[in-house]
Amino acid sequence: MIRWRLAMRLLVRNRHSGEQRILVAALVIAVAASTAIGFFTDRLGRGMANQSADFLGADLTLVSPRPVDADWFREARAKGLQAIEALKFASVVVGGEALLLSSVKAVQDGFPLRGKLRTALAPFAADAETQALPRPGEAWVAPRLLTTLGLQVGDAVEVGTHTLNITRVITFEPGRVGNPFGIAPRLLMRMADVPATNVVQPGSRLSYQYLFAGREADVARFRDWLEPRLGPSHELVGVKEGRRAVGSALERAERYLGLAVLAAIVLAGVAVAMAARRYSERHFDMSAMLRCMGASQRDLLGLYLPQLLVLGLAASAVGCTLGWVAQYGLLYLLADLLPATPSAPHAWPVLAGFATGLITLAGFALPPVMRLKDVPPLRVLRRDLLPLPSRAWLVYGAALAAIVAVMWRYTGSWPLTLSVLSGGIALVALLSLLAWLLLLLSRRFNTRVGVAWRFGLNNLWRHRRGSVSQILAFGLTLMAMAVVALVRTDLLTTWQQQLPADVPNHFAFNILPDQVEEFQTFMEQAGVATAQLYPMVRGRLIEINGTAVRKAVTKEARNDDALNRELNLTWTTELQADNRVLAGRWWQPDDTGKPRVSVESKLARRMGIEPGDELRFAVGDQRFTTEVASIRSVQWESFRPNFYMVFPPQVIDRFPATWMTSFYLQKAEKSLLRELVARYPAVTVLEMDRVIEQVGRIFRQVTLAVEYVLVFTLLAGFAVLFAALQASQDDRLYEGALLRVLGGSRRQLRAGHLAEFTALGGLAGLLAAMGTECLAWVLYSEVLHLEYSFQWPVWITAPIAGALLIGAAGYWGTRAVVERSPMLLLQNQ
Amino acid sequence: MIAARNLGKRVATAAGPLDILTDIGLEIQAREAVAIVGVSGSGKSTLLGLLAGLDLPSAGEVFLSSYRLNDLDEDGRARVRGELVGFVFQSFQLLTGLTALENVMLPLELMGARDPRDQAAELLDRVGLAGRLQHYPKQLSGGEQQRVAIARAFATEPAILFADEPTGNLDNVTGERVIDLLFRLNRDKGTTLVLVTHDEHLAGRCERLIRLEAGRVVADVTEVHSA
Repeated sequence: MIRWRLAMRLLVRNRHSGEQRILVAALVIAVAASTAIGFFTDRLGRGMANQSADFLGADLTLVSPRPVDADWFREARAKGLQAIEALKFASVVVGGEALLLSSVKAVQDGFPLRGKLRTALAPFAADAETQALPRPGEAWVAPRLLTTLGLQVGDAVEVGTHTLNITRVITFEPGRVGNPFGIAPRLLMRMADVPATNVVQPGSRLSYQYLFAGREADVARFRDWLEPRLGPSHELVGVKEGRRAVGSALERAERYLGLAVLAAIVLAGVAVAMAARRYSERHFDMSAMLRCMGASQRDLLGLYLPQLLVLGLAASAVGCTLGWVAQYGLLYLLADLLPATPSAPHAWPVLAGFATGLITLAGFALPPVMRLKDVPPLRVLRRDLLPLPSRAWLVYGAALAAIVAVMWRYTGSWPLTLSVLSGGIALVALLSLLAWLLLLLSRRFNTRVGVAWRFGLNNLWRHRRGSVSQILAFGLTLMAMAVVALVRTDLLTTWQQQLPADVPNHFAFNILPDQVEEFQTFMEQAGVATAQLYPMVRGRLIEINGTAVRKAVTKEARNDDALNRELNLTWTTELQADNRVLAGRWWQPDDTGKPRVSVESKLARRMGIEPGDELRFAVGDQRFTTEVASIRSVQWESFRPNFYMVFPPQVIDRFPATWMTSFYLQKAEKSLLRELVARYPAVTVLEMDRVIEQVGRIFRQVTLAVEYVLVFTLLAGFAVLFAALQASQDDRLYEGALLRVLGGSRRQLRAGHLAEFTALGGLAGLLAAMGTECLAWVLYSEVLHLEYSFQWPVWITAPIAGALLIGAAGYWGTRAVVERSPMLLLQNQ
Repeated sequence: MIAARNLGKRVATAAGPLDILTDIGLEIQAREAVAIVGVSGSGKSTLLGLLAGLDLPSAGEVFLSSYRLNDLDEDGRARVRGELVGFVFQSFQLLTGLTALENVMLPLELMGARDPRDQAAELLDRVGLAGRLQHYPKQLSGGEQQRVAIARAFATEPAILFADEPTGNLDNVTGERVIDLLFRLNRDKGTTLVLVTHDEHLAGRCERLIRLEAGRVVADVTEVHSA
């Protein structure tokens, strides 16, 4: 009790000491970053999940070819979920004289459970959200259905044996996002009307859809209950699976947030370690004195550990509070983008925040502070006596354990954590070596520079062990900042490239071959730029290397969408802008007319297709064989025309083809569409603007989050900077005083310090550039799946930023050295 | 009270082992005031460190009261120090972050004393610093700092007081006053005093003088004189 009281008193008395402040500040930063991002990603994640749910029309959708056990439905309701049923089937719809294969969806009250339908009173007219559904006897249809059948709102259509009256046009339907090509247009009707259609017969291809929505935990419980009961023909689509439209971008963003927080925590940890080391060193005398007075090693631990614990708890509390506030700031910033009532915050980010604070403290501060118990009491007589240095394995082991713990939380995977960690250790080892080399090299310039620089560089060399660790610390800090900033820029650029302001938001297909030129001219005259026009030939993949495709592929791949429907085959000479050839080679001029094909990479992987394989296709009743010449990656999120199978020219042009293209239209130009379909009735226009808007909104949210997290990493970087300056402060004060006693002027000293820190910063920057290059390469290729290119700007900006930043901070941090009276300083030693 | 037998201290140096103390034998009785004198490097402070149990000898044994220090580990010796020993150092060794009062309270708090504040304040009053309780060491003169250190050393009423060059950092007049105080308290409390100094005048105020040269005792003289 007494010790506890004394510990608290010492803690309070120490509150003005620089190292204790830095220790607390660094911890606060780590905890605030972790908590803010914890809260933020949790709430935003759930916000995004809600938006994804809006996309899906439900939190969870079960798709089955047959009706499912009624118990499942009861179970869902028992678990507090809303549950409704919908039936989807393909049916030829008759309107007037024309026929069209449509995708019919029959729904009940409550549909959709999430998100809103948007409808209009005429094709391409202004639309609005609606809560309503078609009434019995009514049908709402996609604009394409009207234009293709030459109908208008108010006309009748026949579905099976039942006639429905078209009352509205659907412009957005939750749950209908994905590959927009080749989809039969939607007809939405009442479930109650289905029996009258007589479409549901034994053997009909039906898709029963069960939509569930409710509280997150209830949905998760139901999902856990349901999953073991599913058969191979069931498909369960949750929010995660349903995110495909924005999938990879979100996943990258989540990884990035994790990465940035991790960088902030590790940097803060380094600052904590430095501050704790200085804290420990400054308490050597006190510990020796206390030992003289009879304090045992346990007494000393009993004195210091509670202080550390209280510091950790207090800093964690402050950090959590800041994180909490920061998160509200963010919610305020994002008010427009988030649901009106964002999901209530969970408590776990607070717990995680405290855990982060205490783990960081234990990992980085405990080993140096533990040293205090080993201070020899004889130090009261001989000040040069130091406790044995902490064992290296203890210091690094504890820090590593802390990093692993924190990293695991963000990666959630042991192999990834361990491989990142071992990579990190290798990198640090390599950089330490490089830091030595840089320092050695800097010596060579020593004789060719002015007095101040010589003083500065000499200083670096004289304290070379300290200098190397400072170069390393600053270098790692700059590196972390550079990588986080670099990745941010590249992520944003990637997204912007995916969704530039004029990303095509409309697709026109079914353009007849003899209309292609006319169509182009029409669009040109209207002032609308179209993408390249691609021919589309409908065909099926039937054999791989002479084996029927269903036998050639793995069991899982057999249900692949691409096998169960006709594919759009196309030909072109130019590789699409967002495609990359991963294996094999793209068409050369002499490929024209040769039976070759380029296959989309994910499909190729699922089917086990490689360059050199032979693929056999069926188009109508004709068959032909081609050799796989290349495997291509495709960015499906780019909203540009993309194809699984691309042929060189003059291979499939003998088959009947229609053409397609995409273009960008502003809202005000929408009326052009009416003119377009009037002039080319066969052409089908698909409006993607709503979907793109939604995706764009999610990207903007994520962008803000990304920038927000960067701030924490920068703050943590500054904490390291100041901790490192503080660490060498005592020696510098003493040396500075000595130099001034020996006749050095303030100006000389200042210039010397400036030179020293500028050199230190420059060298650290150079080191950071090397590290960034290594780390970014690994991150891009292994974690974020972005394309990596040599980051030459880093080689210029990092050393300059390092020199300026550390030069200025060092100059500022050592001003006490020149300002204080040398007498005072020497007396205090 | 204190006994050393065949005490030796050998340290390893770059030029091979170096004997700092060789074959020291001495006994100090309770309430005795002993000065250990010698030139710089004669081994005085090393001897003080060994006698106070701050360090262990390479050879021989040390007894403090009934304890054989060689038998104790560092924590054990710390316990003995807490129970028996007080220190005054040349460099005062006050904790800069604590006020004068808090510095004196520290050993009392460690001991678990009931009213450390009152006891400490009273002691500071006795050393003439009643008006300086809340001052930090930096705000005190050298003489005042050493008086705080003396108050601290006597706070736990130790049986033995070790003083290492207590006037080394003070001018003559101040040093004299501090020593007066030290001897007065020593007498009042009946403490055994072991004082290491190179100042012959100061040593002369002790009743017994042990002279070291090159790590050996060359003289051990007991005089009767007035302090």
